[in-house]
Amino acid sequence: MKFTTLVLKNLLRSKRRTILTVLSIAISLFIFSALVSLPTVANHVLADSASSVRIACRTKMGLAYPLPEAYKSKIAATPHVVAVTPDNFFGGIYHEVSDQFPNIAVDPELVDVMWPDWGFSPGGVEEFKKLRTACLVAEGTMKRFHLNVGQQIQLRGAGYYPFNMSMTIVGTVAHGPAPSFLMFRRDYLEEIEGRPGRVDNFWVRADSSRAVPEIIQAVNSQFANSSAETQCDSEAVFLGGIIGRFRTFFTLARILGLIVVVTIGLVAANAAAMSIRERRNEIAVMRSIGFRSPLILRLLIAESVVTALAGCVLGCGAAFALLKVFSVTSDVLGPFVGAIQIPPAVLLQTLLAALLIGLLSSYVPARSAVRRKIVDALRMVD
Amino acid sequence: MSRSDAVRLEHATRTYNRDGFEVCALDNVTLAIPVHSFVGIMGPSGSGKTTLLNLITGIDHPSSGHVSVGGEDITGMDENALADWRARHIGLVFQFYNLIPVLTAFENIELPLLLTDLSRAERRAHVEAALEAVGLAERTKHYPRQLSGGQEQRVAIARAIVADPTIVVADEPTGDLDAKSAEEILTLLAELNRRHKKTIVMVTHDSRAERFVDTIFRLDKGVFVGAENSLIRGGGR
Repeated sequence: MKFTTLVLKNLLRSKRRTILTVLSIAISLFIFSALVSLPTVANHVLADSASSVRIACRTKMGLAYPLPEAYKSKIAATPHVVAVTPDNFFGGIYHEVSDQFPNIAVDPELVDVMWPDWGFSPGGVEEFKKLRTACLVAEGTMKRFHLNVGQQIQLRGAGYYPFNMSMTIVGTVAHGPAPSFLMFRRDYLEEIEGRPGRVDNFWVRADSSRAVPEIIQAVNSQFANSSAETQCDSEAVFLGGIIGRFRTFFTLARILGLIVVVTIGLVAANAAAMSIRERRNEIAVMRSIGFRSPLILRLLIAESVVTALAGCVLGCGAAFALLKVFSVTSDVLGPFVGAIQIPPAVLLQTLLAALLIGLLSSYVPARSAVRRKIVDALRMVD
Repeated sequence: MSRSDAVRLEHATRTYNRDGFEVCALDNVTLAIPVHSFVGIMGPSGSGKTTLLNLITGIDHPSSGHVSVGGEDITGMDENALADWRARHIGLVFQFYNLIPVLTAFENIELPLLLTDLSRAERRAHVEAALEAVGLAERTKHYPRQLSGGQEQRVAIARAIVADPTIVVADEPTGDLDAKSAEEILTLLAELNRRHKKTIVMVTHDSRAERFVDTIFRLDKGVFVGAENSLIRGGGR
């Protein structure tokens, strides 16, 4: 502790250089923590759904192709199946394109059985089952657009559904698949569309997670060699499939994060080398009045570590704030968006990266300075 | 070695290898500096004065021979042991002061005390006493750039004596000062020697120093050519 003043005063010796070094480290660690968080967030989503008893069934050809509605009763008859809920992705727009959020049409009968973990508001599901034009809206969407229960809203159709849907909000969803989200009745969608019997995806609920593989096998076998073969997956695999499309991006993000950290590590090393080089004479004076070389080495490294840690706090703080804002305002990431934050593991990695930058950037120039002969550094040879 | 010797060199030789040529900076020097004395080392440039100081302070090693300070043979000590030894026994004053520019006068003087087990309050008391001794009690919060050359050298002297070393070693302490400041620094060193019983070894070109020191050791081309008592100082003191 008694050397704290010495370390801090040396850090402030060239304020501009210290501030610029701190900022460069902060920016690099900001990029590092933000980029490295993305794959971790994806894994977090998958881990959350790993023990789910829900199964998603779509056509083998992909989500763009529908399944016959008639499959519903056949799937429901499969052993261990508790509930089957078909859904269609409407993809409507509220007001502006930038206001878009996920919206799906579902059969209302078993929504509370299928998604008991979603936190429907009291009475909301009952009203949803009664009113053909009802919709349930995520709390995030309610806050974002200042909506109230009982209010009428209109979604503008786009793409596959080129018509508008007017509906009444009858309840809210606290923990849906995304902070911003809306579900309405599929029979209402079919009525407006005038082309019933098409389902994008069946959600199936098993009576236990152990029964999930058995149900998947049974359903896929049942519709094998039909005109619309099914591809059933557990909820974790289904989400993993969506996330899998981003894997290459995540790998690139990690590599990019590391490159940025290494580059800034070299910049910090250059700054540390310049700072230490300017003080070779002072270091020799300190050694000549009794400071051991290892102590001076530790003091020089401490300066670098303090600089790197200051950058780490700034960088992580900025990344945390940005991801917080991003998670509140963005819906384009669908199921990821709720989990967007800097996980503790990434914070730890960023802290380690900062420590490494601090240690490695100063070690070589500091070691070189304290190993130099005192007489040479002082230029005292007569 | 006599118990009354603060420093003793026995056949100390220091040679350097410069660009393939062997240069003998100090050649087989044997001398003794008595305790509580004020010794001036004089000689032309390149005579080995600073090399002699470097050997006495342990920041350089003799190529052959032995160096003892305070009865302790420092010739075989390793770097860390020498650093600890210097912290306890040596106070260094440089020609160009060599204060740390980002530290105040107080903090510069406190620097050697950071290596001791003294408490913060004890360190403060020691620093204030050292500042009082060099007549700069009112300049504690000034940075080196805010002090004159003479004042900087006083702070450097305070830093040299604050840990109560066995011996104070000064390398051309008046070399960068005007005549008035040089006179003040020499007077201060003489007072430290007389009142505080400090052994002082000073390398100098300054002929005024002859009035202040007890003994002058003369070197020429690395060879110790003799010691002479300063009659002028004896009379003037």
